[in-house]
Order: sequence, then structure tokens, then C-alpha cells
Amino acid sequence: MSTFLEPADPAPTAAERLHIAGLHSPSDAVLSVRDLNVSFNSENGAVHAVRGVNFDLMPGKTLGIVGESGSGKSVTSLAIMGLLPATAEISGSVRLKGKELLGLSDKAMCAYRGNDIAMVFQDPLSSLTPVYTVGTQITEALTIHNPGMSKAAKETRAVELLAMVGIPSPRNRLRAFPHEFSGGMRQRVMIAIAIANNPRVLIADEPTTALDVTIQAQVLEVLHTAQEETGAAVVMITHDLGVVAGIADDIMVMYAGKPVETGSVDDIYYDPRMPYTMGLLGAVPRVDVAEKSSLVPIDGIPPNLLHTPTGCSFAPRCPLVTDACLDGEPALSPVPGTGYHQAACIKSGSLGGDVDVHEIFSAPPVPVSRFDLIPRGDRSTVLELKDVRKHFPLTKGALLKRRIGTVKAVDGLSFDIREGECFSIVGESGSGKTTTLLEIMEFHKDQDGEVIIGGISNKQAADAKTKSAMRREMQMVFQDPTGALDPRFTVYEVLAEPLQNAGLSKRAIKKRIMELMNLVGLQPDHVNRFPNQFSGGQRQRVGIARALAVNPKLVVLDEPVSALDVSVQAGVINLLDKLRAELGLSYLMVAHDLSVVRHISNRVAVMYLGKIVEIGEVDRVFDNPRHPYTRALLSAIPVPDPQFERTRERIILQGDLPSPLDAPKGCNFATRCPVFAALPAAKQEHCLTLEPPLEAVQPSAAVEILEAGPAPTPDQRFACFFPDGELDEHMLVVHETAEPHAP
Amino acid sequence: MIRYLAKRGITYVFMIFLTTSAGYFLAVSSLKPALLEQERIPRPTPEQVANSMRLKGLDPDLSPWERYVEWLNGIVTRWDWGRSPNGAFINAEFGDRVWISTRLFLASIILTLVIGVALGVYSAARQYKFQDRVITSYSYLAYIVPAPIAYFLVQLGAININETVGERIFFVTGISTPGMQPGWAQFVDMVAHYAVPTIAITLVGWGSYQIAQRQYLLDNVNADFVRTARAKGLTRNQAITRHALRVSFIPVAQSIAFTIPAIFAGGFFAEKIFAWPGVGSWSIDAISLQDVNAATATLAYGSVIFALGAILADFATTLVDPRVRVQ
Repeated sequence: MSTFLEPADPAPTAAERLHIAGLHSPSDAVLSVRDLNVSFNSENGAVHAVRGVNFDLMPGKTLGIVGESGSGKSVTSLAIMGLLPATAEISGSVRLKGKELLGLSDKAMCAYRGNDIAMVFQDPLSSLTPVYTVGTQITEALTIHNPGMSKAAKETRAVELLAMVGIPSPRNRLRAFPHEFSGGMRQRVMIAIAIANNPRVLIADEPTTALDVTIQAQVLEVLHTAQEETGAAVVMITHDLGVVAGIADDIMVMYAGKPVETGSVDDIYYDPRMPYTMGLLGAVPRVDVAEKSSLVPIDGIPPNLLHTPTGCSFAPRCPLVTDACLDGEPALSPVPGTGYHQAACIKSGSLGGDVDVHEIFSAPPVPVSRFDLIPRGDRSTVLELKDVRKHFPLTKGALLKRRIGTVKAVDGLSFDIREGECFSIVGESGSGKTTTLLEIMEFHKDQDGEVIIGGISNKQAADAKTKSAMRREMQMVFQDPTGALDPRFTVYEVLAEPLQNAGLSKRAIKKRIMELMNLVGLQPDHVNRFPNQFSGGQRQRVGIARALAVNPKLVVLDEPVSALDVSVQAGVINLLDKLRAELGLSYLMVAHDLSVVRHISNRVAVMYLGKIVEIGEVDRVFDNPRHPYTRALLSAIPVPDPQFERTRERIILQGDLPSPLDAPKGCNFATRCPVFAALPAAKQEHCLTLEPPLEAVQPSAAVEILEAGPAPTPDQRFACFFPDGELDEHMLVVHETAEPHAP
Repeated sequence: MIRYLAKRGITYVFMIFLTTSAGYFLAVSSLKPALLEQERIPRPTPEQVANSMRLKGLDPDLSPWERYVEWLNGIVTRWDWGRSPNGAFINAEFGDRVWISTRLFLASIILTLVIGVALGVYSAARQYKFQDRVITSYSYLAYIVPAPIAYFLVQLGAININETVGERIFFVTGISTPGMQPGWAQFVDMVAHYAVPTIAITLVGWGSYQIAQRQYLLDNVNADFVRTARAKGLTRNQAITRHALRVSFIPVAQSIAFTIPAIFAGGFFAEKIFAWPGVGSWSIDAISLQDVNAATATLAYGSVIFALGAILADFATTLVDPRVRVQ
């Protein structure tokens, strides 16, 4: 039934191939969209948000719409649902089971919305009404379309729906309010509401973007179950090429409001024919590949949709652009020699097969640092943490505060960073990553534990002079480049501030600023511009330049690329890589995107509830994870490789990160551990009462990835008693086996 | 809930005690009723003045601390808030004036709220349309025009009507005509007295609620959860009335709970202009008449009523917002 279960068919029939993009009669399509155009009137003129979208969606199939922010993918979905503001001008045709939806009044549209066609939105935290119980909100969806349904029947159905989306003790949870649920749980409720009336079409607009990877894996599983149960066709909108690789049958890539490439999932991932798609695929780092190659940066920014492009909308950013590209916008046309694969590029015929995307986009060579040749032990230490703890008291009462517990945000952290290396900390939100950064940045002598920066310990940092010497050693780059730059400072002022603090002369400051602009790849004559005149990627470059101004040894990167679009992200990552090599910098990075971490880091620490559960050299940890949590985390990351995704075995962790208050006495992870669940009771007792120490991997255990020569203790330590234990089979999911499973 | 109330109550009693004590010290060290007495004709001797003050418990020769202890002692042991320089007892004066203020404002507060919130919802649903522009412009105008001027304008309007008709329909000042027979005539007289101040206060007052309710509702009209409700199959108007309205009422409810007491305690413009001798006008008079005890009493009343407002605001929030837990 579900398209997930089908192995890649090497030769689909012609009829099957024709089912996308309006090439065949839409009679059997459940949803068919023709020449959909949406424009909004703004103060500057009409913004053409969507221009000519066509597709047919077959029952039970999944279409992935992929694009960066502003590409028109969300507007397309809202136009189909009839949820755009009345000021939007919509033309074209949207047919649901043959009935035209465009032009229907709000009231007439209500008969379809939530009944035949339903939607799951991006942000589960704000998508549920805070003042009504979850049960009320689910039954409301039932009441609207089944006015005759009895109250008892509605409640039974609501319980059934909550159970289906995997909410424990659903009957009691009906009376809970949305704020009593975590983000992942709320998204499950959203899915329950969407499938309440067995819709034929389910539109999911970035359903997992706001969630942690482990929760993302759970929610994607729930969506999969929902699709199996209802047989609905799914439109999955995302910017993450990994998310759709495993679940979509067909893909539509959008750019500047227009579909620029459509085809089966294998066509798009293995044989992209539009330079934009090729660039996007090359711009994403992969979590499963050790070999390092530079990412493909796509220069420039998406076009302004105020002006209808005269040529190919991607031409200004395309490395293969010729004069012919500027002469009229190319239409989506079949790729020669294929079935229903279409691309909007005049060169699509010549881009097949073994064209190397790294060459086309002239990706820079992998930079080599002078430190790479020196063994790690011989390099000096730039930052060392010894048993750092940060415990927050949890208090109750307004006037007289009583301590009712302790949140161990950071609980005994020790690691060191050597010259020229990038050390990353990964983990779910709530694992203590940010608190760790703050503890390092806010070092003071009364801290619990020792922070040694450039050889000076925080215990010595009593006077202002020592402190500022330590401060100069490390600088920070923040997650949100827009929020981190003062909007009323020009770039010159932003960069001059740290230099003035360091006491440089005016002349020296000016010279240094020009150097910095060149260093981060900005035009030096842009120094008098304000941050809002730059794009997101450029702003992050300004943030990096500011951090580098005083020549620090260590740069602390807090989610440096998570606020950026995929194509822009690649350029910033390449820049960070280049700076590390050229300037001999060390990085301490916190990131939730494990692919980025693998790409850029030398060493990595996995944190869970304030503790490091596994630490070591990045390739060792990622290729041979020992701790069950690391294994689960890695298996939750979607990889932009459809074949791999379809056959992959996943560990789906149950539930959310537990409250630090409920942390067990022994191993923190025991409550969600897939190994623990399968252990015999005696061994479980061991996990629950004793805290596993962080121990090195024995050389024998990792013999298969050892290089030649006598084996020292490998650089990998983990905290688990039973790393080789069997995994609980209920937490394993493989779609290939086609066996029904419990999510 | 009871424990919560008790806890909050104790906190507020303590705060009221502090503000009132501070107010007393300020009043006792800056207000000198004896000076006012000396302007009488024939001018009394300083000894006479001091004597009469001492009899009323306002001895100017005692230090502020001694007077404070005496005053506090009177309140704690006998619930006696002291006397005015003219000899009147604060306790007796006070009861009358609170009742007058309450009568003056009760009707207009209810009208203000109902009209303000209703117009807020109405105009938010028609954002930028003609009706919205008229209503919201009016509200901003009412915001800008100082209340006394608006009250005068309404009075002028009422006088105009009286003159046009050639008969006195409205009273523009005063509470009632003395010596009216109980029954229908007295009722008509009461309505004639009530109409002008009530209309004036209402006309000026609803603007702020209208603006607040309109703004909060508009903030929520395009909220994600309204979109979810529409995606379920509700029309836009249904989604707004069922989902956005209740959420947008949370901050409005809170502000209502806080402003009601403020009006009771501080409506001195209205009381002065319409010549209703309530608490507000009394507090102003107390200062100009160098009346230490009356000034402190009105301050204490204001504190109590703000504490009530704060507790009321907590209740209102708990009532409309399930996310808030009272502990």
C-alpha cells in the first residue's frame, strides 16, 4: 500500500512514469494542480510568490516539494488549502478528486478542508489553541464534518486517534492542554487532528523542522503510520533533502516560485539535471561519509520576486550560465532519454551521468591546516575543562523559596581542545550544550570546576587584566546573525569595537578591518553598510569577522549555520574550514545538525542530560558508535540518499528527553535506552544503580578500523556498561521488511 | 486556592502598611494645618491654634514619629483614622464618600467595558475598513483629549439640549435635588442627575478598551492556531470567534481587573467637574486643606483597592487561561 515499502523499481511502466507534472490525464489523480500562480500586492508592487506549479498526486503516493525559504513551497500548499489571505491573487486550477477548489468561497471550501484534504503545520508549539484541551481540539475536527456523531463516539474516535499517533494513555491525555505536551507530542496531536476524518490528501509543511532529530524520526514514523492507516496521498514540504529521501515517491524542486526540476526520487537524487538541484545536493554535508570533500557553495541569493525574470531565474547564481540562458525563462521540459523526469534548464541534456558538481560550482579544495600533520598530543592545549558543573536549584514558592530539586544542566564535564582542531558538542535540546558554552564564556573563579583558557585557569582570574587576557583568547559566533549584530552599527563600527577595546590606533583599526573583510569574503567597500543591507549568509560572515578581529586562538561557534538556507550554509561552512586551516584556529562548536558536525569537526562529544556519554575522534565516533544514545542519534539523521534511506535500520527512541528531575540514580539514559530495554533484569539493575564511567574503547574492540602500526588506545571513550548488548526490537524500524511495526 | 489567597493577602497587607506609613510621614512633615488656621479672621494666637489642634489629635509640637505612633495606635486599637483640622471624623466622612464614588462610577465602568470590548472585536473583524477607521480614530481622539475637557463638552451638550427644549432635562452637576418625594419623581430626578456624568465617563473611557481588544485580537487573528482551526474546516469568522477571541481576551481581562479600582480611587476630575463629593475630590481637598489624616486615609484606600485589583487580575487570568496555575 505505502510507497515506502516498494523497492526501487528499475523500470517503471510508462503509465506510472507519466503520473507527475501534468503529463497524463489527471482523472485518476486525487489532487491535480495546474498552472497555479499566486501573487501578493506589496508596497513595492506585486510579488509573484508562485509561478506555474503543476503536479498530479496519485492516491497513497508521496510528493516531496523541496526548496529554500522564499521558493514558494508553503504558499503553494496554503493556496491549495484556500488559506491564503483574501488579498492574494490566485489563478490556475486545483482539482481534488476532479472538483475544482480554486474560486470556492471560504464557506464552500470548509466542506473539503479537514475532511478530504488536511494539513500539518510547521510549528507545533503555536499551532494548537492554548486555551482548549487537546480532546476539544480533536473532537472539533470531528464535529465540523460529522454533525450527527454522538459525543461518546467522538470521544472514542479521539482516543483511537491519539493512540494511533503514539500518545501514551490517550484517554487521560484528552483532558490535557497543549502546554502540557512537548513539541514532538504536540506535532503528534496535530497529525491526529489532520487524519481525524480520513483525508484523501495530507499536506505536511515542514512538519519536523522545529523538532530534535530523535523526535523528528518519531514524527516521521507517525506520519508514515498515518499514511498507511488512511491511505492518504501526502504532500511533504521541506527544505531538508534528507527528510524526503526516504519517504517520497516523487520530488518537485522549487526555486523562485517555480518548479525547476521534477521527477522520481531516484531521478532527482542520482541524476539531477538542473544546476540548482545539483548544487543543493552538493551543498549538504553527509553524516554517513567520512571522506572529506568541500561542500558546493552556491554564490549569490535567490532573486527578488517583485520582478518577473526575463531569463532563467537561477542564471545569476549559475556557474554554467551562457547568453542563451538569459533569453526567456526555460520551461519545464522532459530530460532527453528519460521517462517523466523534467528539468527547466536548456542544458539538462548534457548534465547527466558523470558530471562532477564540485567542478561545475568550482568548490574550493579541502584546506589543510599546518597542525594537521602534528600529532594531537604534541599540540598545545587552548581550552581545557576539568569537572565543570552547573546545577540550578529548582525552587517553589514566591516569598519563601524552598528548594525542591536540582537541575543538573552540566554535570562534571571534562575535555580539552588542542591547537588547530574543531571540537563539537552534540545532543538534543536540553542536554546542556548551551549551558556548557555559557560556563566557558562566563568563566569566573567561583565556578564549580576548572576552565583553563590558553594556559590560565579560571581560579587565577581574579583581576581584570588576567580576565581580559583570557577573553582575548576566545571569541564567539552566535546562532542568529541578525540578532547578534546591532542594526544601528555599520559593519565598520561592528568590527572596530573589539579593536578599540584592544587599544589599537585608528589607522591600525582601519587596516585590520580591510583585512578582515577580505578574509571572510566580503567586499571591503561594503564596510559602511548596515547589517540589514546584507543577506543572512553575509551577516554571519560579519559575525565571524567580528569574532576574528582580535586574533583569538579559539572561536566558540553556537549553531553557526542553523539559521541559514542550505545553499548559503555551504559557503559559510567552507569559510570556517578555510579559516581554521589558514589561521590555525581552534573551534568549539555546538550544533544539532550532525552532518555539519561530521563535516567540520575533528573531535566530537555527545551529551545527554548534562553528561558526556561518548567522546572521541569524529570518524571513530560516527562510524563505530559505542554508546546506545550515539547510535540512536546517528540512526535518526536522515541522509539524502533514497536507496540508503529505504533499506536503513533505524533506532526510534521512545518519548522525550526526561525531565532532569526524574534522572535515575545510575545511567541517565536507561529510561529511553534500546539496549537497556532488552537486557535481563539483573543487568538492568546494574544500569539503574551504578553510573557508568567514561572509559576508553579497548583497542581490540575497534580493531577493524585501526590503521597500520602498533595500536595506541584509540581516541574514543564512552559511558556504557553494555555497549554490545542486543537492541530492543520494538525500537528498531526497517521499512524494507514491510512488516507492520510498533512505532 | 485559599492558601494562595491568604499568602497573597499577607504580602499585600504588609505592602499597604509600608506605603501608608511612608505616606503618613510625608504628609505629617509637609502638611501644616496650623498655618491655615492662622489665616482666620480674627487671627487666633499660636497658643489657641496649638490648643485646638491638640484637641483633635493633630498636635503640631509633637515630632512626626510621636504623632505616627499615636495615629497608628488609634487605628490598631480603635480603628480610628483621626480627625480633620475642621474637627470632622475621618471614619464618618470616608464611608459617605466611598459610596458616592461607587455610585458615580459603577454604571459607567460596566458600560465602558461592554462597549469597549464589543467595539474592539467589531473593529478587529473589519480591520482597515470604514467602520474600523471611524471607531479606532474616535478611540484615539478620546485618548488624546484630556478628560476634563471632554467632560465639559458633554456638560455643554447637555446644557444645549436643555436650552433647545426650553426645559431642564439633565442636571449637569450634583447628586440629587434635595427634598424630593420618594417614588417616581425621585427616580426621574436620579436619572437626570446620573445621565450626564455616566455618559461623559463612558464616552471617554471605552477608547482604551477598544484599542486594546482590537490590538490583541488582531495579534491573534493570523496566529498559527487560527490557521489550524481553519484547516480543520471552520470558516475564518468561526475560527476567530472560537479560537482567537478567548486567547485575545486574556490580557484584556487582566487590564480590566487593574483599571476598575484605579477609577474608584482616582476619579477626581469627574468628581470635581460634576460636583459629586467622592473619594477622589476628597483626596485633592485634603492636600489643599493641609489635612494629614484625610490625605493618608485616601492613600491607604488607594493601596487597598490596588491590592484588590491585583488579586482580581490574578483570578481573571486563571479564569480565562488554563496555562496559569494558582499555587
